[in-house]
Amino acid sequence: MKNTFIKNTIGQIVSFAASMLLLCLIWQGITILTESEIPGPIATWQVAKEMFAEPFYDYGPNDKGIGLQLTASLWRVFLGFGIGSLIAIPLGILMGSSKFIMRLFDPIVQILRPVSPLAWFPLGLLAFKAAAGATIFIITITSLWPTLINTSFGVVHIPEDHKNVSKAFGFSKFKYLTKILIPYTLPHMITGLRLSIGIAWMVIVAGEMLSGGSGIGFFVWDSWNGLSLEKILVAILIIGSVGLLLDKFFNTLKMAFAWENK
Amino acid sequence: MPGKINNLLNLLTMKNLTQEELDLLQAEEAETKEEIAKLLAPTAIKIKNVTVSFKSKKGLYTALEDISLDIKKGEIISLIGHSGCGKSTLMNTISGMVNPTSGEVIANEQVVKGPGPDRGIVFQNYSLLPWLTVFQNIYEAVDSSFKNISKEEKKAIVEKNLKMVNLWEHQHKLPGHLSGGMKQRVAIARAFAINPKILLLDEPFGALDALTKSAMHIELLKLWNLDNRDKTIVMVTHDIEEAIFLSDRVVVLNNGPASTIKEIVDIPLERPRNKKEIVHHPKYKEIHDKLLSLLIDKFSISDY
Ligand SMILES: Nc1ncnc2c1ncn2[C@@H]1O[C@H](COP(=O)(O)OP(=O)(O)OP(=O)(O)O)[C@@H](O)[C@H]1O
Ligand SMILES: [Mg+2]
Repeated sequence: MKNTFIKNTIGQIVSFAASMLLLCLIWQGITILTESEIPGPIATWQVAKEMFAEPFYDYGPNDKGIGLQLTASLWRVFLGFGIGSLIAIPLGILMGSSKFIMRLFDPIVQILRPVSPLAWFPLGLLAFKAAAGATIFIITITSLWPTLINTSFGVVHIPEDHKNVSKAFGFSKFKYLTKILIPYTLPHMITGLRLSIGIAWMVIVAGEMLSGGSGIGFFVWDSWNGLSLEKILVAILIIGSVGLLLDKFFNTLKMAFAWENK
Repeated sequence: MPGKINNLLNLLTMKNLTQEELDLLQAEEAETKEEIAKLLAPTAIKIKNVTVSFKSKKGLYTALEDISLDIKKGEIISLIGHSGCGKSTLMNTISGMVNPTSGEVIANEQVVKGPGPDRGIVFQNYSLLPWLTVFQNIYEAVDSSFKNISKEEKKAIVEKNLKMVNLWEHQHKLPGHLSGGMKQRVAIARAFAINPKILLLDEPFGALDALTKSAMHIELLKLWNLDNRDKTIVMVTHDIEEAIFLSDRVVVLNNGPASTIKEIVDIPLERPRNKKEIVHHPKYKEIHDKLLSLLIDKFSISDY
């Protein structure tokens, strides 16, 4: 039991290392093909080391360390994602519980869901009169859909058997909510949250490129203006890794609440 | 009954009763009272011309057709019939989980519109909540049914019922980690714990071994005996011995589609019944044979 666990872990580490090596090889290949116009892994590593040496320096509004930029972005993502979830979860539960509310809201959801974050940005600017508010607004409005849809899907599919238990034993509305609806829907909800945070993290870069000021998106834009392709590459790797970590976090959360495989 | 009353009158008209005769008189009187009380008992469940049809892709499937049955308060009734004949469907019309296509069911003086805690149910598929432990599954039901008692008292009820079904040591397990028989016992404990006026049991002991089954029969009768035998119990079973041992009447259903009641067999064996002795009762064999032939009339040995 323990032995296979160790074997599995070692296997995972080895395959991850191999995968990273493959990425570096492809990257190096592209660098050679473009005659070093795109910096290779080694050149990028040098720049990365400098950037990470002092991640939290702050030399005024347009010159901040990568750590500060990252925290600024994460903070915005969590704000936007948090507000989105606070809207999406209750609305999803309502839509799942009532056919009428479902019919009322479903067309709205279908129309608004595919709209690009960039299209929302001017509206956000108008509404909030500030770029920072607009960025959070576009994260909220583009990331709430998967949570909304998955939550309502979960609620719609609560098995008749569970509902009958609630009726047969006279559960109150509150007990039905906390002992049946939420436990059953939670894995669906977390899947929705996981997709939503993925979208939020994608949108933040676009949002910060438009709004400027701070954040990892602004950093990419700023590096482009400063013609430092290495910095852009480092930023891409950071964006990717943070996205991966966020995804893993929600996956672990889902596992923790999945009663099916307990 | 009339025979007994005649007997009684005869005894009463005699003079100079011996002690033996006096005892007999008292015993008969008590028995007669009990029987009269039974006859006068109010109806607990009234099934009135119930027809149940299900919509399917191929059209309408009528499972039950025009079923009427009166069940008295304090009666134990067994439903038997072949698989798929509509026993669960009939139970579900009483519990309120299936609405009759026509006709109605009256339980506890009210037309059944949906499930409710006045009718405790053991579902055929147990229906435990998979994210709650054994203890919590019962606790939530108790918590909903008893509003005016403290948390400690509720916990004590759960404990008592879990001990009754021998699952106290397994109280922290999730249903996914229980065997079929264990799940069934949790479902039984849950239905017993809320102490309903009407108990609806859909094959409650089907997944249990003979020994556990016997123990559960005793517990069921104990529960029934508790409040002056005024709990009404309707039970689905495939087990003829079980039906005879427990019931006052056995309702045999025809095969579907459009099942009706084939026959209602009275079980006039006096209580308390003893499992070992009852089989030697002269009426036992008669009833057993009758039920058996009602169930398997279509097939005889010569068919093979
Ligand atoms: N929800 C439903 N929709 C369609 N048909 C149904 C439904 N429930 C039951 N039936 C049909 O009604 C008939 C009776 O089913 P029911 O479950 O009452 O049988 P049963 O006597 O309890 O059988 P068993 O002894 O196997 O439990 C079956 O033919 C079944 O297919
Ligand atoms: Mg059945």
